[in-house]
Amino acid sequence: MDIKIPDHWLREIIETKVTPEKIKEYLTLCGQSVNRLTKEGDDFVYEVEVTTNRPDCLSVYGIGRELAAILPQFGIPAVLKKIPSLKIKNNSSGLPLSIKISQKTLCPRFTALIFDNVKIKPSPKFVEERLATAGIRSLNNVIDISNYLMLELGQPMHTFDYDKILKHKMILRESKEGESVITLDGQERKLPVGTIVIEDGEGRLIDLCGIMGAKNSETDEKTQRVLLFVQTYDPVKIRRTCQELGFRTEAASRFEKGVDPEGVIPSMERANFLFREWCGANEGSELFDIYPNPYQEKTVSVSLEQINKLTGLEIDLEKAEEILASLGFKTKINFTDKLISAKVPHFRAGDITIPEDLIEEIARIYGYFNLPNILPPLPDKIESSANKNFDFEYKMKTALKYWGFTETMSYSLVSEELLKKTYEDPRKLLKISNPLSSDMVFLRASLIPSLLEIIAKNNPFGQIFEMANVYISKGRENLPDESLELTIATTKDSFLELKGIVKSLLRELSINNLEMTIDDRIEHVFLEKTISLYLGDCNIGVMGQIRPEILKNMGVKNPVWITDIEIKRLLHFAGGSKKYVPLPKYPPIIEDLSFELPPKIFIGQIIDEIKKENPLIKIVELLDSFEKTRTFRLSYQSNEKNLNNEEVEKIRKKIIDKVAKKFSGTLKS
Amino acid sequence: MLKTQITNLKNEAIGEILETNEVEVLEEIRAKFLGRAGKLNLLTKEIPNLAPEERKDIGNLIAETKRTIEDALRQAGEKIEKKSGEREEFLDVTAPAIHPVEGHLHLITETIQEIYQIFANLGFHRVRYPEVEWDWYSFGGLNFPENHPARDEWETFFVENLENKKFGKGLLTPHTSSGQLREMEQTKPPIRMINISKCYRRQSDVSHAPMFFQFESLVVDKGINITHLKGTLDYFAKNFFGPGRKTRIRPFHFQFTEPSFEVDVSCGLCEGKGCRFCKEGWLELGGAGMVHPNVLKNGGIDPEIYSGFASGFGVERCLMMKSGLSIDDIRYLYTNDFRFLKQF
Repeated sequence: MDIKIPDHWLREIIETKVTPEKIKEYLTLCGQSVNRLTKEGDDFVYEVEVTTNRPDCLSVYGIGRELAAILPQFGIPAVLKKIPSLKIKNNSSGLPLSIKISQKTLCPRFTALIFDNVKIKPSPKFVEERLATAGIRSLNNVIDISNYLMLELGQPMHTFDYDKILKHKMILRESKEGESVITLDGQERKLPVGTIVIEDGEGRLIDLCGIMGAKNSETDEKTQRVLLFVQTYDPVKIRRTCQELGFRTEAASRFEKGVDPEGVIPSMERANFLFREWCGANEGSELFDIYPNPYQEKTVSVSLEQINKLTGLEIDLEKAEEILASLGFKTKINFTDKLISAKVPHFRAGDITIPEDLIEEIARIYGYFNLPNILPPLPDKIESSANKNFDFEYKMKTALKYWGFTETMSYSLVSEELLKKTYEDPRKLLKISNPLSSDMVFLRASLIPSLLEIIAKNNPFGQIFEMANVYISKGRENLPDESLELTIATTKDSFLELKGIVKSLLRELSINNLEMTIDDRIEHVFLEKTISLYLGDCNIGVMGQIRPEILKNMGVKNPVWITDIEIKRLLHFAGGSKKYVPLPKYPPIIEDLSFELPPKIFIGQIIDEIKKENPLIKIVELLDSFEKTRTFRLSYQSNEKNLNNEEVEKIRKKIIDKVAKKFSGTLKS
Repeated sequence: MLKTQITNLKNEAIGEILETNEVEVLEEIRAKFLGRAGKLNLLTKEIPNLAPEERKDIGNLIAETKRTIEDALRQAGEKIEKKSGEREEFLDVTAPAIHPVEGHLHLITETIQEIYQIFANLGFHRVRYPEVEWDWYSFGGLNFPENHPARDEWETFFVENLENKKFGKGLLTPHTSSGQLREMEQTKPPIRMINISKCYRRQSDVSHAPMFFQFESLVVDKGINITHLKGTLDYFAKNFFGPGRKTRIRPFHFQFTEPSFEVDVSCGLCEGKGCRFCKEGWLELGGAGMVHPNVLKNGGIDPEIYSGFASGFGVERCLMMKSGLSIDDIRYLYTNDFRFLKQF
């Protein structure tokens, strides 16, 4: 939570001569970060980012208290000042208020004080300005006191017109089904069951506790008697109500982080002072204070060894103790055990519980900048092969880049509209329960629709790829299967070129046994015909052309070829060792054979069959295709001798017979 | 005798051929050796004077010599012709090149690769853990109590119909820190992990994309302390951004580290003096801290024996800070406009 602190106000809390620039620097290095320092009129304003563990810093006073510990470390004198306050007389004979609290956990501390003879008027100019800096509008002197003190001390408070509390009765309880309240901003708010509210005994709700007061009991220009209300609430309850109402105020942001119950009375006394000064008011009642479980001071200990082990620094015990004391801890050193025990100040009760918390306090005030930069010593075992698969992934991406493909990165979340266009069943996909927009609702189970969307957007041509996870549901109780996929999409209408890309890609990974078959058993959602890619028995992916109806829905005019590879399966085969084949000593005999073949014969099978015929056949290539004729170039070679014509002729004859028998092909002379 | 004469003649002819660059001279050489009254013909006339058994040999030799000289003449002629042709050709070096087809890697891929290499140099091993994660790994086990205000800073997407009795609700992990517990469950110390993954948050504006990348370092071993965190992150910053850059850590708060820090790197533009681009000379890199003892315990590691540090930074942020690319809307990285992708 960011708060704005005017420099003049800060200096009412802390006496120091240091410049605002230095305050910004030192507070940032050792405490809470000052994100910005701006000059406003004759004042400076610090914008401080207060972390959730430090609600005690959500005020001018809290920041002053930090600075009083930090600045002296830099040799700068700084003293926390006493702010004017007025002890409460606690007249037991004053105005009555009957209080009932349904459950004490709802409100750890309940205090109220009634002021009489209140003169409602505008606040002094400087108050208006300070409230305005924090984005709060000045309303009248009474309401302003409550806001002013929230900013100054971090304690939210509320003021009621005492005479609007009809029976002078307050019942603090949880809301019931169907209750609502009109808050100060004029909004009617239907309350979730279990909200902390106050009822006035007439069944009217007069406060949405810790969040905003009710319209029916607000102070106005006619108000004469004011009930000042200073409480602490169950942070979880406040937070839940805010979440359910979708409504959060400055007060609520503080209450949900925890407000110090020990700060209540000092706040009350400060308010007492301001009511007298700004409103001419006097105490009109006893101090109502219900505090069933007062704060028990707790002690946390830390040893010198622990400090040095975690910080990597030799800090001496006295120095560590001095730092803790400057932060308000009551400390004691046990020199024999080299141990500091520290009583935690009440305003830090929420965030100091373990030795590490104390170490953080010591180290940050000592100054992290005083610690050296040291690389951790290398452990004995480092698995150098651990990163292999990531290297393969990058290699594939790089190869595709050099072959003319552009890498895309699209959101893992897709729209229902996209699913419809590509005929995917949304019921099979994981769905976000709180999506940000209708564009991003389902976790995709394939990259193909996303790539089609990209091609459509960039019409008309494209050669793209993406490597990303897809998400396959495995039921309610299990996390989905996250499978890394490589999907390549191209508008170049050439199966053979895409096949070449995939084969070359695999060869980069030393995989040479890719087989492709048309799989009639599989009805692919996106593909017209499914070509399955196999490495041995393992299906590593598919290839095919996108169905025309999908292309039409997507507005893609060109045919699109796709290949989709499961990386995990593929990499299982990657990185085989390279083999050395001795260079041939004898020249090959090369010849071309042309066959006339019947239609729909798989060329790959013929090539395989020819190769299998004799180990002396080293290379078989398809040289040319024309009508029914296929011309193959064969290379015969022996490692032992020069082949002669007779030997080759024998093999050739067998090839011709085989092609004739198996494929009904005839040799063309 | 005659054989030697023929061989000498061949060598003489070839020598002369190789010496000239002019076609006219080649013609003179041809006449001199191969012409009707040429040197080779004169030798041919000697054949009838030879013993019959020698005639065939010498005849063959003369014929071969003739072929060799002719070949040499032809080749020399072609060479001269080619050269003279070249001299006349107009080579326009300013004409547009013929490129191989150019593809492009995504900026994020390149950045991740750089980041990963730097950590790999320090012996970190790279991992990737689930993006769809249980509450336990993203929050609960990282020391976030149920319904804690600190959770608000991680604006989280939840997944419908995904809930586990032990691990809580299913969600899209809003940070790579979920990988800390996953790593501790898999690897016993010493741990040196770099987890680079997609993360998701319910946030979309010019500086936030709902999907983004983070990289998480985690080191757990005996005697790991704050100086090691500083050393490692400083090494990263100097290698990634440049050797002149400095780093600093500031106190911060995260539920899962104690102490917690924010890490800044000095601004490369003003070299730390302060400018429009930075905050008084410093740029925020991300969060870090010493692993909270509760997190170590949740990961099955004894905090009495081991300690560790972790950091989690945004890849996009590092990319923008390093490149100085002033991409005005971070979401362009994921809209896949070719006009954008093909710039890199």
